Amino acid sequence: MAATKLLSEVTGSVWEITTQVGQKLAPGDTVMVLESMKMEIPVLCEDGGTLTEILVAKGDSVAEGQLLAVIAT
Amino acid sequence: MSATPENPTAQRQAQLDADFEQRQAHAMAMGGSRKLDRRREQGVLNARERIDRLFDPGSFIESGLFATSAVPVDSSSTPTDGKVAGFGRIQGRESAAVANDFTVMGASSGATNGRKIGHIKRVATQRGLPLVFLGESSGARMPDHMGSRGMGLLLGNDGAQYQRLREIPWASATLGLSYGSSSWYSVMSDFHVMRKGAVLAVSSSLLASMAVKEDVDPQELGGWKLHAEVTGFADLVVDSDEEAIDAIKRFLSYLPGHHQEAPPVASVLAGSGQGMADILKFLPANRSQVYDVRQIIRTLVDTDSFFELKARFGRVGVTGLARLGGRTVGIVANNPLYKGGALDTDACEKITSFLVLCDSFNIPIVMLVDTPGFVIGTEAERRRAPGKIMNFMNALSLVTVPKLSLVLRKSYGQAYLNMGGGRNSDEFAGWPTAEISFMDPQFAVKVVHGLSPGEPGFETAQAEMDKASSVWDIASVYAMQSVVRPQDSREYLIRMLDVHELRLSRGVGKHLMQAWPTSY
Repeated sequence: MAATKLLSEVTGSVWEITTQVGQKLAPGDTVMVLESMKMEIPVLCEDGGTLTEILVAKGDSVAEGQLLAVIAT
Repeated sequence: MSATPENPTAQRQAQLDADFEQRQAHAMAMGGSRKLDRRREQGVLNARERIDRLFDPGSFIESGLFATSAVPVDSSSTPTDGKVAGFGRIQGRESAAVANDFTVMGASSGATNGRKIGHIKRVATQRGLPLVFLGESSGARMPDHMGSRGMGLLLGNDGAQYQRLREIPWASATLGLSYGSSSWYSVMSDFHVMRKGAVLAVSSSLLASMAVKEDVDPQELGGWKLHAEVTGFADLVVDSDEEAIDAIKRFLSYLPGHHQEAPPVASVLAGSGQGMADILKFLPANRSQVYDVRQIIRTLVDTDSFFELKARFGRVGVTGLARLGGRTVGIVANNPLYKGGALDTDACEKITSFLVLCDSFNIPIVMLVDTPGFVIGTEAERRRAPGKIMNFMNALSLVTVPKLSLVLRKSYGQAYLNMGGGRNSDEFAGWPTAEISFMDPQFAVKVVHGLSPGEPGFETAQAEMDKASSVWDIASVYAMQSVVRPQDSREYLIRMLDVHELRLSRGVGKHLMQAWPTSY
């Protein structure tokens, strides 16, 4: 089983976490929403899988490239 | 005519035929049944099957069927010298192709097949034929290239081998292990599709492992994910050889055969424009919410005509070919779904190379704008953002095909210019939802009035800023020519493409970027 790491593509903050560890995700599902540049930016699960880890909490600041979650594919 | 002693011509012909057919069968057998069977078991097409899939049935005329290695000891074991080459029709149009035959010495480059590629390229360029490379090669043939004599005989004898002037479209596929010249032709092409499992790299993982003294994983070295997401060298990724070749045919269907003609016009498929009445539903009413601009693109263009390029690279910028009223257009759009639509350096490179493609092959450009600006910050500067932004801007200013820009929502700052604002497009238009200014009104209130959200006076100041950013103010000074209702946008674009047709040059632009780099 391979692990896909979801990295933040922007510098901003965590607006909302919309999933839970253990949840099965379809390709294109939103894992969490970040806020940056006055926009609510979804973090998408590109290829689908099972969410095994969430490394940030609501309100956290995140940097571009920071690890947000891990998905088993 | 039968071969009898009474008919000496028939006898001669029969002898010639027998010899010809025996040689032909030997050449067509490629690297032998064992290797061919193994490929079949793996679900991978061989070079001739790929050629058959590419060209219209019965149209292939081969060049160099009887070519073999120039090294005498190898001549009987190197049918076609490992590269099947020739001409054929793709959807009725004359084209040229080279397909690497990996079963013959790994389709490695040798003296004879180098001449074959040179000939095919020359004919295609001089006669105006699209050129296809089906790549799968182990690189330079050893030991042919070893030593200074080998180098002198095999490399550097064609000063134009890696010259790209975009006179004809090049389309390529990486369909297996691809090193050396096979990789060079792929990254120099206007379109490059990769099959999953294939590898495109400078040299093999074995050689790379020897050079850096550590194990190098071939997929990490040059797999599809790397080229789809990091380098942007793959315009498309597919699962099979068949899909890859079909994608090449589809790409070429949008392009002219060469740069001195306009792209072909297709019939308009039924259902085109059907979703226009409520296209606005794809644009969220809340300006801080994102959406996938590709839904708007698919609704605007002719049914099923949107062919996205580099979908997983620089995703903030969407680039793709499509048809509007049957005519080929190049779509450049911001995608707020990623990074809120803020343009990063990858998106700049991607859009720049797409502008070069469209301009070089006479394809009008339609820009759909919704961007809060360029990504700024230390990381962007480290990635040479100013240079990338200006490359993009310079390319846009050198475009000589019609360029139409339509603002859907945000257009701010320098990105306003890069996305065709003002005189950076031939027609500049906006939806009534467009907002245009130097920066987002919320930031502007902070900069101009020193107020942050929640502070007294912030809301009044922001309301003024919002009003000043509306589409009506820029339309009133005629810096924007048209305000277009969302539901009228398809009709507007089709009409404006009519108006701006390059009549004085029969649809052909000036190609000022024909010698631009093929990657940056």
